[in-house]
Amino acid sequence: MDGYLISQIVNGLCLGLIYALIALGVAVIIGIVGFATFTQGEIVMIGAYSSYYVFLWSGNNLIYGMIASFMITWIIGMILYKVCYAKFFDSPEYISLICTIGFSMLLKNLAQIIFGAEKKPMLNIIENKIYHLGIIELSRVQLMVFITVIVMVIILSLLFTRTSWGLKLKAVSQNREAAALVGINVDKTAMIGNCIGCAIAGAAGTLIGIYYQSAYATMGATLSMKAFTSATLGGLTSVPLAALGGILIGVTENIGIAFSSASFRDIFSFGFLIIMLIFKPTGFGRKRGARA
Amino acid sequence: MRKKIAALLIMSLSLMSLAGCGAEDSAVPAPESTAQTKTADGSGNAEKTIKFGVIAPLTGTHAEYGQGFDAATQIAVEDINAAGGVNGYKLELECQDSAADAKTSSDIFTRYAEDDEIMAVIGDFTSSCCKANAPLTEEYGLVQISPTASDPSYASMSEYCFSVMYNQSTAAPWTAESVVGHFLGKSECAVMYLNTDWGITTNDYFLSGLDSAGIKLLGDESYTENETDFSSVISKLKATGADTLVILDQGNVPTIINQVKGSGWDCQIVSLGPGASDQILDLCGDNAEGLVIPCPSYITADNPDTSDFYKKFYDKNQCAPTDHSLCAYNAVQALTEAIKSIDGEVTRESIKDALKDVSYDGLAGHTQFNDDGGVSRDLLIIQVENGGYVVKEKYGYR
Amino acid sequence: MMYKMDANVKKAIMLVTVIMMCMLPHILSKSIMTIVCSIMGYLIIAGALNVINGYSGQMCFGIAGFYCVGAYTMAILMNTFHVSFWIGIIPSGLFAAIIGALIAIPTLKMKGMFMAMITIGFSEVMRLIALNWTSVTGGTMGIKGLKAPMFFGLKTSGASRYYYIYLATVLLFLFSTDRVIHSRIGRAWMAIREDDMAAKSLGISLNLYKIINFMYGAFWAGIAGALLAPYKTYIDSAYFTLDEGFNILSMVIIGGQGTLAGPFIGVTVYQFLVEGLRFAGVWRYIACAILIIAMMWLRPQGLAGNSESVLAGKKNRSRSFIKLPEVFSLDRTFGTRRLGKANIG
Repeated sequence: MDGYLISQIVNGLCLGLIYALIALGVAVIIGIVGFATFTQGEIVMIGAYSSYYVFLWSGNNLIYGMIASFMITWIIGMILYKVCYAKFFDSPEYISLICTIGFSMLLKNLAQIIFGAEKKPMLNIIENKIYHLGIIELSRVQLMVFITVIVMVIILSLLFTRTSWGLKLKAVSQNREAAALVGINVDKTAMIGNCIGCAIAGAAGTLIGIYYQSAYATMGATLSMKAFTSATLGGLTSVPLAALGGILIGVTENIGIAFSSASFRDIFSFGFLIIMLIFKPTGFGRKRGARA
Repeated sequence: MRKKIAALLIMSLSLMSLAGCGAEDSAVPAPESTAQTKTADGSGNAEKTIKFGVIAPLTGTHAEYGQGFDAATQIAVEDINAAGGVNGYKLELECQDSAADAKTSSDIFTRYAEDDEIMAVIGDFTSSCCKANAPLTEEYGLVQISPTASDPSYASMSEYCFSVMYNQSTAAPWTAESVVGHFLGKSECAVMYLNTDWGITTNDYFLSGLDSAGIKLLGDESYTENETDFSSVISKLKATGADTLVILDQGNVPTIINQVKGSGWDCQIVSLGPGASDQILDLCGDNAEGLVIPCPSYITADNPDTSDFYKKFYDKNQCAPTDHSLCAYNAVQALTEAIKSIDGEVTRESIKDALKDVSYDGLAGHTQFNDDGGVSRDLLIIQVENGGYVVKEKYGYR
Repeated sequence: MMYKMDANVKKAIMLVTVIMMCMLPHILSKSIMTIVCSIMGYLIIAGALNVINGYSGQMCFGIAGFYCVGAYTMAILMNTFHVSFWIGIIPSGLFAAIIGALIAIPTLKMKGMFMAMITIGFSEVMRLIALNWTSVTGGTMGIKGLKAPMFFGLKTSGASRYYYIYLATVLLFLFSTDRVIHSRIGRAWMAIREDDMAAKSLGISLNLYKIINFMYGAFWAGIAGALLAPYKTYIDSAYFTLDEGFNILSMVIIGGQGTLAGPFIGVTVYQFLVEGLRFAGVWRYIACAILIIAMMWLRPQGLAGNSESVLAGKKNRSRSFIKLPEVFSLDRTFGTRRLGKANIG
C-alpha cells in the first residue's frame, strides 16, 4: 500500500468519525425514544451556532462553548420531544417522522433568519497543530474528534448497561407499558433519552464547527443523512455499532473517491448501505426487527 | 367512490378559490395605482413607475447570495430614485424567493410575465435556474437579466436573456494564460471545480486556456454542490505534486482554502469565481494569505469606488457584500441605462432592444453586452497580502 | 358523507366535475394554470407513492428515484432516439416499473426504517447517476430542448394546453387504481398492510403482491416523470432531490394514506400552503413547517384518512420501525393486534 492510499484512508477515517459523532446521537434517540429523527442535522447546526456566539463572548473558551451548546441543544431536545414525540407514541412512526421533518424545516429557516444566511467564521478556536504518526498526519481537531467518539461510545455503553438509570432508559425503549407497570416515569425518561441524544449532537456541532471552521444554517443537511445511514448500518439502536457504521462509510467513500471522482461520493456511501443491507437486512445489529 | 367524488369536488373547489386568489391578484394593482396618482398629485407632475421583478434564492443553500441580491437591488433602486429616477419614471421592485430551485424559479418567472406591470426580470442566481427560465423569456417576450449567470451557454439561449457577470468563455482562458502562466509564472497546476453546469463549462474553458498556454495539467477533480469535506480531493491533488491549485467555485472557496491549509499543503491558490470580498478574509483569516483572485472589481470598506455601496449594504444586511451583490446592483444600472436611451414608450420589447446597445461604466466595471447578451470584461488581478486585498495588475493585463 | 348516494347521482356529479375540470384553462389565468399543472403532476406521483406506502404499508421514501428514472427515460427517448411522446410514455413507465421490481426483490424481508433507508439510498443513487453519467443524461447540463407533443396537429406547449394531458393521465390513473384496489390484488395489499401474518396464513403470497405493489407504484411514478420532461422542456437532476421525495411524502401523509382521495387533498393543500404563503417571503417555510406539525397534531391519520385502519394508529404500537421482539410477543399474547377494517377508497 502506498502513502497516497493510506492518506486517503486516514481522510476517510476522519470523515467517518464526524459521521460517527452525529450517528451516536441518532442511535441514542432511536434506541430510547423508539422514533426516527430527521432533525439531527439541525441540532448539530444549533450546537455550532451557540458555541460560535459563546466563543465570540468568551474569547474562544472551548469549555464554555461545549457547555453552552450542550445546554441549548438539551432544551431544544425537550421542545422537540414535546412537539414531535410525546403525542405520537400510539401512532404509526411516520407521523412523528413527518413532524421531525417539519421541525427541521422550522429550525433551519429560523436560523437563517435569526443568524443571517452568511457563513460565520470559527477560526483559530484551537491551535492548528499537525501530529505525525509515521506517515499518518493528524491535526489536533481530528485527534479531538477521535477521542470524543471513543469516550462517548464508552460512556454511553457503560451508561446503558451498568447503571440503574441507564437500565431504566433501556426498559422504556423496550416496552413502555411494562416499564410503566414497574413504576418508571415513562414520559420523563424518554424525554431525558431524547435530550441526551440531542445534547450529544449539540456537542458534535461545536466540534464540527471547529473542524470545518465555520457555522452556517444549512451545514447539517448532508451530514445528518450520512449519520442516519451510519446508524442504520449499525442496526439503528446500537451506539458502538453506529459509530462503526459511520467510520466504515467514511472510509468506503474516500477509498472510492481515491479511484474515481468526488462527484461519486454519495453513490459509494449509499451503494455500500444498500449492499450491506441486502446481505444483513438489519445492519450489523443482532437480528432484531427483521421479522414481520 | 364517495371519497373520490369528494376529492374531485374539493379539488375543483380549491381550484375555484385559486381563481379567486387570481382575481384578487389582479385587483391589487387598483389601490396601488390610486396611490400612485396620489403621489403624482402631491409632487405636481404625472410621475409614473416602472416595476422590475427580482428572482433570488432567499432561502436554502444559496440564501446568502439571494438576500444579497434583494438588498443590492433595493439599494440601486433607492439610489436611482433619490437621483430623480429615470426619464421621469420612478423604479419599483418586487422580490420573490426561488430557493435556487429551477421549478420554483420558472413558476415565479411565469407569474411576473403574466403581470403587465413587470417590465424586466432580474435574476436568478444559479445558471441552471436562469437556463430553466430561458424558454419562457422567449415565450412571453420578457427580459431576464441575470447578475451572476456566467455560464456562456445561458445568454445565447434566447435574445431576451442577458447576464452582467463576465463571461467565462473569455475569463477562464485568460485566467489560465495570464494569471497562472504570466503573472505567477507557473508551468504546472492542479484544478478542482464544482460539478454544476457553471463549473463544468468554466473548467472546459480553463483547460483549453491551459492547453494553448502550454501549462501542464496535473490533476482535474470535481465535487458536488453539497460537499462539505474536501480532504479526499485535496489529498488526491496534493499527491500529484502540484504547487498551484486553481479553484473554480463560488461559495465553497473559503472552506476549501481552510481545508487545504489545514492539511499542511503549502501551495499557491488561485480562485476564479468568488470575487474579492471581505467574506473570504473573514472566513479564512491567515489561511487566505497569498490567494490570487482575478475579478472585475473588488468591494471592501476601503475601496473608494465601492465604499458607499459597501456601507449601505452593511446597514441593510449586517454583513459584507460579495461580488454577486455588486453585480445585482449593476444589473439594475444596466436596465436604468437602457430605459434612459428609450425615446418613446417603455415596453418590455423596447427594453430588450435598448439593452443591446447599453454601454456604461458601472460599479462592477465597464458593461457592454455582446451579441449573445453576455458581457466580456477585463479583469483585475488581486492578491491577499497582510490580511487585505492588493490590486496587483490593472485592467488589460496580458 | 355517510348517506347512500344514488348511482345516477354519483355519475352525474362525476360528469359535472370532469367537465368543470376541462373548463379550467378557460377560466383561470396562465400563471394559475402553471400551479394547477404542478398540482396535477404531484397528484400522479403522490398517488403512486400512496399505492406503495398507503395500500400495502411498505416504507418507500425514495419515490423521487422512480420519478427521475421516468423523466430521464422520456427525455432520452425524445432527444436521442427521436421517439414521439405518445410512444415514449409507456416505456418510461415500464422502465421505472422494472427498476421498482429490482428494488422490491431485495427489500422483501425488510421492514420499517431499514426499508426507508434503502429507498432513500436508491433515490440518491439514481439522482447521482443522472448527475454524473454525462454522455447519456447530459450530466449537470441536463437535457434541453424537449418539445411538447403534438396532439392531432395541435401544439400542447404551455400550461393551459399541457393541462389536458395531465388531466387525462390523472383520470386514467384514478380509474385504473380504483379498479386495481377493488380487485383481488388490491385486497391482498390491504390485508398485508393490516396484518401480514394473518394475510400469509390466508394463503396470500406476500412476496408476489409486494413486488406487484412496488412495480405498480413505480410505473405511475415513472409516468409522472415522463410527463414532467416535455412540460418543463428542460430537465436536470436537481428536480429529483431527496427533499422533493420528502415533500411528496408529506403531501401523502397530510392528505391521508391508504385512501384514493388522500393524496389529492394533501397535494392541493400542500401546494396551496407553499403558493399561498409566498407573500410571507422568508417566513414562508416557517409557516409551512408549523402547519405541517399542526396538521399531524390535529389529524394524524391525514385529512381524508380512515380512523379505523392501522394507519390511523390507535394502539398498534407493534407496527414500529424498530420492532422489538418483546413488544411483539406481548402484543401477540394479549391479542392487541386485530385485523382492522379494510379501508377501501
